[in-house]
Amino acid sequence: MLLFLAAVLPGLFWDGPPDTAPALREAGIRRIQVSAAQAAAWNATDGLSIQAADLRNTVTALAPTVLYRPNQASATRAPWVVTNGWRILRNPQGRFLYEVKGPQAALAAAEAFCFGGDALVHPDRAGLKPFAEMIDFLRGLGEAGNTPVADIGFVDDGTATAGEVMNLMVRDNLLFKLISPPQGKQNPGVKLAVELGSRNFPLEDAKNPDMMAHEIRAKLTDERRSIRIYGSAVVVARLTVLPGGVRVHVLNYAGAERRVDGLRVRVLGQYPKHRLAAAGSPQEELLDYSADADATEFTLPELKTYAVIDLSR
Amino acid sequence: MQLAAAAPLAAEPDDQPAYRVVTRFRPAAHLGMPGPFPGRVIRVHAENSINAETDAVDGQVVRKMLAAGMQALTGERRPLDAWAHFIAPEDVVGIKINCSGAPQIRSSPEVVAAIVDNVMAAGVAARQIYLYERFADQVRSVNYPKYLPGGVQVMAAEGDFARGSVLGYDPRTYVETSFFGEDDTRSNLVRLVSDRLTKIINVPNAKEHQASGVTGCLKNIAYGNFSNVARSHESEKTFTYSFIGRLASVEPLPSRVVLHVMDGLAGVWHAGPFSRSRRFRFYPKQLMFGTDPVAMDHKLIELIEAKRKAEGAVSIFDRSREHLGDNSNPNFNHFIREPGHVEYAARFGLGIFDNEKIRLEEMEL
Repeated sequence: MLLFLAAVLPGLFWDGPPDTAPALREAGIRRIQVSAAQAAAWNATDGLSIQAADLRNTVTALAPTVLYRPNQASATRAPWVVTNGWRILRNPQGRFLYEVKGPQAALAAAEAFCFGGDALVHPDRAGLKPFAEMIDFLRGLGEAGNTPVADIGFVDDGTATAGEVMNLMVRDNLLFKLISPPQGKQNPGVKLAVELGSRNFPLEDAKNPDMMAHEIRAKLTDERRSIRIYGSAVVVARLTVLPGGVRVHVLNYAGAERRVDGLRVRVLGQYPKHRLAAAGSPQEELLDYSADADATEFTLPELKTYAVIDLSR
Repeated sequence: MQLAAAAPLAAEPDDQPAYRVVTRFRPAAHLGMPGPFPGRVIRVHAENSINAETDAVDGQVVRKMLAAGMQALTGERRPLDAWAHFIAPEDVVGIKINCSGAPQIRSSPEVVAAIVDNVMAAGVAARQIYLYERFADQVRSVNYPKYLPGGVQVMAAEGDFARGSVLGYDPRTYVETSFFGEDDTRSNLVRLVSDRLTKIINVPNAKEHQASGVTGCLKNIAYGNFSNVARSHESEKTFTYSFIGRLASVEPLPSRVVLHVMDGLAGVWHAGPFSRSRRFRFYPKQLMFGTDPVAMDHKLIELIEAKRKAEGAVSIFDRSREHLGDNSNPNFNHFIREPGHVEYAARFGLGIFDNEKIRLEEMEL
């Protein structure tokens, strides 16, 4: 039996005074978390659910975005996607705090939800409405669990090097989950087990994490990848298990500034049925849908920040 | 590693990637490439076709060049009969222009307008004629509609959408490969070509290209009809050698591209295709005609090589690393050029590269 873990909706952390309550309500915010010191002052505020936030042991998340850096020399023209996905996967029990501005608040909430992270988002005033809209969208997705589809089992030794390899696997849409070191001929239940320092994945190679991610991809092979993304270098995808199918998550890390016009997605497996929910594009429909014996493909006409596509048989 | 300074013609890089071609189109009974005139190239030169000082093109002279070239290619006495070899009234005709060097170097609107007039004279309605390119901003910089009859459509695959969008491309027709570990490994065919066009007239320019050596018929068909192609030449080592011919050979292109009119009124002999420096522009004042893109591009190689030799610049076949660098000097380049892509394309049956078998007919107006 599959174990479904409910994805938790991110919370809003707010450090403004109680007289900012009208701005919160106007933006569509219904509940906030405040510091323990402010909780008493806020508790008398009408129309908002107030909770004292425990900020001890929170992990600071980076503001999710894309850094293009066109004026800097680099080994690749691929833009640098700033994602916390690997941090959340490494530390699934952690609580993450995002400090973000404007529409980044929506992306932060979507990222945390997508990767199953327990998160607080601390936006500026401009980020309140985008955050509220994203929370409404996420709430509408309903309970679906957060059991990942993973092609790669990764043995995380806790080092910075391993962290960077995980970061690059997330950015390159190489789906992985953490596993214990394989014992003998034990099958870890994935297509490829990766343990840095092993014969197949020498530590020396991992000194260049990008090269290591390429080696992992080459050993896995593109044909065996459960998901492929075409048409954007700034979209991170994730797959989670649904009864009788899979949920495709796609996050546009440039979503705070620009939408992706057209994204082609390939998912291993034949799924003739689909249901799309795209944040900010409620009327959107998939294009050029095909469900062949080996794979299902479709085009998402536009991706603002976050969309999920439930595929089923 | 120090490479040979002057490799022979068609020195083949030994590390070409594997390509996976996905297409639902089957070859037509009569292929457009190399078509009815394999190995045949017509070159028409007219000294007064363009003013090298002002870049002004004489439209009337261009029309005479076009008529002379088409009649010579087909052996017909009347232009109408010449065009009827390639175009029927029921066709939906695409004119694949080239605007990658626009607004300076592009398929001249006077040449394109003359082609449109002939296609319409062959019975094709204006609404069934499409000028198309990949990037809307480049096309807009030329203002083709000003030169065209009403109803002719000007389209760009990435026009209505953001640059890089996949929506203007056919998701079911593509070539898949990985050059440098890029994650997006597909190059998809322009959707207009898949869904609408029955015939294509290719109108490239006469240009040197920093990565592929030259950019003529083949590259305009290949990189001009597929998405996500710049990935093949992101650094000094490129994969243009094999990618161009591979793309150009994907159906339905060999079936539907029926004619090539190379606009060589003005050209680029170095730092192409953009020609931002007037110093590297030149004026061959010619149009080339044919159905064989390989033979025509072989003649383009000779044209560019002759000009470079006259300017004292190294050959486009030079593979020396000592000539990598700032290309404001014509002896330097950012890439190792791959003009061997033209000979390589002959392997796909797209045309004839062997000069002994190429029949060049030159005309002077």
